[in-house]
Amino acid sequence: MGLFSRKERPRKPGENALGITRKYNLTPGRAYVVEESPPDISFDAFVNIVSTTGEGGKKSVGLAVSRQHPDLIRQKYGLEETPLHWLATRAGPDVISPTNLGILTHTLIKFIEENPSGVILLDGIEYLVSNNDFNKVLRVIDQVNDHISQSRSIMIIPVDPRAFDSKELALLERNMEKIASEARAAGAR
Amino acid sequence: MKILIVDDSEAFRKVMTELLVRVGFHEVVEAEAFDDALEVFKRERPKISFVDMILPGKNGVELTKAMVEIDPKAVVIAMSSIVNKKMIREAMETGAKDFLLKPTNEIALNSVMTMWSD
Repeated sequence: MGLFSRKERPRKPGENALGITRKYNLTPGRAYVVEESPPDISFDAFVNIVSTTGEGGKKSVGLAVSRQHPDLIRQKYGLEETPLHWLATRAGPDVISPTNLGILTHTLIKFIEENPSGVILLDGIEYLVSNNDFNKVLRVIDQVNDHISQSRSIMIIPVDPRAFDSKELALLERNMEKIASEARAAGAR
Repeated sequence: MKILIVDDSEAFRKVMTELLVRVGFHEVVEAEAFDDALEVFKRERPKISFVDMILPGKNGVELTKAMVEIDPKAVVIAMSSIVNKKMIREAMETGAKDFLLKPTNEIALNSVMTMWSD
């Protein structure tokens, strides 16, 4: 299948478990921000959570929204069942326009309501901010975060700190936990 | 408890050693490719081996297989700079017990070490 061809098939709820360790001990009902670029730790945490079982042997269902094309994400990370949405200005299935923050909010809140122990990866905040007023994007995050707080879901948001000034970063991180500084990458290939 | 790091990047091995020391593991041995890794593995008998899946010459999957053949109780942790479920599954099928993203971080390393060091 070509990288950008679209042949959708019905997906199972959740990824097959890999039998590896649940590495990032993220607390249900919390949103996390990871200051990094590229979003390696965020994807590692997301793939790890949806591919492992948590307490009581329960699996978490995931949803990812990204500026990267879904086919590219599936190829890169081997995610088979996780629904992926593409932040783009093109029309098509599973595409969310960066200017349509209402659809984005609705998609994320609906997922939380349907999957109270789910995990969301929201990648592409910089792209959203470049297409909207920063405060509008912040309101979306706050609104989704309110729903996260009332559920056992987790949201992970990678943020490139170079794309924001210190006030914006502080506002972004105000109601979220930072995946701690010790998670900072050590040793690149 | 001895830990082996197999990676062709000296810089990565150094950083990984520092991280292991920081989380409380001081007996670390290193190797950079298949042949010397196997030699060190036979000589030192590490309890845990971190093996990069991409090595010069024979790859990490082959090394994992060889290590597990020598010592079926060996704990091999596959490492890669790409988080790919198919690749992780392949490593697990050849005997790896877990997976760690490169570059790694203290949180992930600590979880893996907690899981396999007892």
